[in-house]
Amino acid sequence: MAITRRTFVTLAAAFGVPASAGAQDGADWQQVVDAAKKEGKLVIYTATLGSPYHKTVVKAFEDKYGIRVDMLEARASEVRERVRIEQAAGRFVGDIHHNGSTTTWLMMRDGNLQPHGAIPNARNIVPPFEADDIRIPAEVISYSVMINRNLVKSADEPKSWKDLLDPRWAGKILSDDYRALGGGAVFFVVMYNTFGKEFHEKLAAQKPVFARDIANSERRVARGEFPIYIPFSLQDYNQLKSLPIKPIVPAEGRPYVRFDLTTLKNAPHPNAARVFMNFYLEPAQQLVFANAGYNPVVKDVVEKVDPELRPLLATKAMGTTVPERQDDMLELAKQIYK
Amino acid sequence: MAVAASLPQGSAETFGGWARLGRPAGLLVLVLALAFLTLYPMVMLLYGSLHSTPPGIPGEFNLAGYLGLATSENLLVLANTFGLSLVKTTLSLALAVLLAWIVARTDTPGRGVLEVLITLPFFIPPILTATAWAMLGNAQVGTLNLAWRWLSGTDSTLVDVFSYGGVVWHMMQYSTPFIFLFVVDAFRAMDPALEDSSRMSGAGQWQTFWRITFGLMLPVTSAAFILSFIRGMESFESAVFFGTPVGINVITTAIYNSITQRAQPDYQSATAFGFAAMALMFLLLVLQAKLLRGRSFTTVTGKGYAPNVVKLGWMRWLTFAICVAFFLLTVALPVGQLLLSSLFQFFGFYQLDMLTLDHYRNVWRNRDFWTALGNTMLLGIAGATATMALGGVVAYVTTRTRWPGRRLIGVLAWLPWMMPGMVLGIGFLWGFASLPHEIPIYGTLWALLLAYVALGTPVAVRVASAAYQQIATDIEECSRVHGAGFWQTLWRILVALAWPAFAVGWMLIFFGILRELSASILLYAPGTEVLSVMMLKMWTGGKPEEVSVIGLLMLAMVLLFRWAQLRFIQKRIRTL
Repeated sequence: MAITRRTFVTLAAAFGVPASAGAQDGADWQQVVDAAKKEGKLVIYTATLGSPYHKTVVKAFEDKYGIRVDMLEARASEVRERVRIEQAAGRFVGDIHHNGSTTTWLMMRDGNLQPHGAIPNARNIVPPFEADDIRIPAEVISYSVMINRNLVKSADEPKSWKDLLDPRWAGKILSDDYRALGGGAVFFVVMYNTFGKEFHEKLAAQKPVFARDIANSERRVARGEFPIYIPFSLQDYNQLKSLPIKPIVPAEGRPYVRFDLTTLKNAPHPNAARVFMNFYLEPAQQLVFANAGYNPVVKDVVEKVDPELRPLLATKAMGTTVPERQDDMLELAKQIYK
Repeated sequence: MAVAASLPQGSAETFGGWARLGRPAGLLVLVLALAFLTLYPMVMLLYGSLHSTPPGIPGEFNLAGYLGLATSENLLVLANTFGLSLVKTTLSLALAVLLAWIVARTDTPGRGVLEVLITLPFFIPPILTATAWAMLGNAQVGTLNLAWRWLSGTDSTLVDVFSYGGVVWHMMQYSTPFIFLFVVDAFRAMDPALEDSSRMSGAGQWQTFWRITFGLMLPVTSAAFILSFIRGMESFESAVFFGTPVGINVITTAIYNSITQRAQPDYQSATAFGFAAMALMFLLLVLQAKLLRGRSFTTVTGKGYAPNVVKLGWMRWLTFAICVAFFLLTVALPVGQLLLSSLFQFFGFYQLDMLTLDHYRNVWRNRDFWTALGNTMLLGIAGATATMALGGVVAYVTTRTRWPGRRLIGVLAWLPWMMPGMVLGIGFLWGFASLPHEIPIYGTLWALLLAYVALGTPVAVRVASAAYQQIATDIEECSRVHGAGFWQTLWRILVALAWPAFAVGWMLIFFGILRELSASILLYAPGTEVLSVMMLKMWTGGKPEEVSVIGLLMLAMVLLFRWAQLRFIQKRIRTL
């Protein structure tokens, strides 16, 4: 039997083989959508716990395509271990994996993921973000400095990350721990790459207080226990903006960490996964995240963001973690911040 | 005895036949069930500790996980963990025994209400009390320190919860009511004739308390001490909240770092750390067994009795004040914070313009919450009942029979308690996911139920064993002489007499299930979410106020359960 173009596209979709660029448009994409609808279900494993914004986007997807979505939410390492042991035991349950770039890189290295196939909206992704056969950038967490407005006068507000080294802030900085995975580790790497080891040695001399519970740390600063919290995730600002706090993105820019969407190996619903990834990159969905304080990954979205957040999101992307060096960086942080 | 006399005739013959044929089979079933629940996940973890990679990834067997533990940093972690747990358990035991004695054996006013109130802290999610205490007792702007400065006119700091003391204090809020729940019913169930004999023989009040009352309570108090000490070694929230910011590290924070805080999770180190802790705890169990060996602790006999109540005179107001002070410090202050927080827009911001009922509305309208609550109640009721049933049988076999294999059964039932929860959760995940696909456990409510039964069994066995040890064997023999079978004697004599302790055990396990997170987060699937996972999602999603609402709901449930339970106990004691 001769393999027609239509049959090839359907097979490629079913097995997750990247389709040719020509297959992205029109009737061909419609076949992917039809196949997705036929699958009727999508299982997402995500490391974003309790995020209302992701639920909003998932609900919009369900409404648009009539495909039911089940979400399994857990912390990054827990998601990874579940996927790993399920695949080792021959249980292929999940379709999409949504996690930070470091964990995603590790899972890609371990062979837990498969190519997603062509995604038409991937062409709208803007630098410094880029997609490849396995990873589609999803949204970006950007980090800033958070100050208590009652404790930090306007004139004293840090304008550069280096201002945190001013002796006046000694013992007054509450921080996410740099010695563990998370925002603190991202901050450590980006500052190290930008200013060198000396920056951290001076910051260590400031005796920052480390805590791991981000939501509570932010409230501790808002209550006046500390004047400064670093690194503050901009997506938390909307929830806290009626409190006496202020996010500041220093002149050098904002450290960031990217979340990726990927297709899990032997995903039972690969077409639904592909349609979801495409949907996720639509400007309307990216705007949901941007209005929540995440940086969008596609063009023409930042301009439409809520005016209060727009200047913060439009700042320079300063840098991010390098998965290959992550453990070395954590070790270095342990040596500097004893 | 009336209970035994009413048993149907002819059951001895049936039981004899069943016993001859069924005992080995029954023992085998029991051993297999326990082996599946407890040994199987442990074997998976042992593999993890001895293999360079977790199950399913090619690697090699080596001892790197164990060898890596022998560093000065880890020895300090071990010493910290041991020291903190020892201090908090000793203080908690002293306080809990005092409170239990006051409530069960004195004429202190309002002791019925006090008994319920004293146990409340145990049921509040630790993350909530930790948050509340961080607000009350932080050195800079803590409410207690602000009040102290205002009252004393100085700039000094009264309390700082971010310290060793803070870690101990926070752990004590859970261990004191936990031990109290263990010992209060044993105090109540004690035949006062033994104390009367002591006093008639010339011993004073204090001597009688120490040598008779406390001495006879040794199985219960030592069991509670060991359970609480081990729980202290495995405690996570207190250390991570109040210890980590000031450099106090314990075993669980080290394991947490190995699993979740590195780019590449180090399961080999984490599981090896778990087994090292387990070996240490096993030594404690051996010590406890040596302490109790060859001694009799029978206090519930076939004779009728009424619990003795000590008339304290004016001193009863002092004992009342002690109970009220405990209640104010451990319940009123943190729960007051919770209640306030649930009514304001933000936790800790008490401004009139921020008053709101939105958090209650949000929880009420949250469909995921109701699904999680339904699943949790189902798992809680089924899990606690199944666990107590299993624990009752295991305790009977280990304490009341000389059957071969009973020691093995005892050890199997104990295993889950000695492995830190966050490591054991991995063992369940590896174990259940690796089962043949034809066994439909992974990804269903069964996975959660089986994990909860395994995790609760040590408590159930300890509660039932301690209660059985206080019941004279002559009642049981009397039942058998009158023709009752194994199950009839177990149910109508031992369980009937040990009911108050069983009720406490059921409640401890039920609320343990409500709070369990380590295994739940790894075993739940879409549609089988439980309350602890829901609360973690809310907390991580920046909704501590809604978590407070759920915490208060759990407290209301505790009050209801305790009220019903105490009513039942009082009714039973009147009929004894």
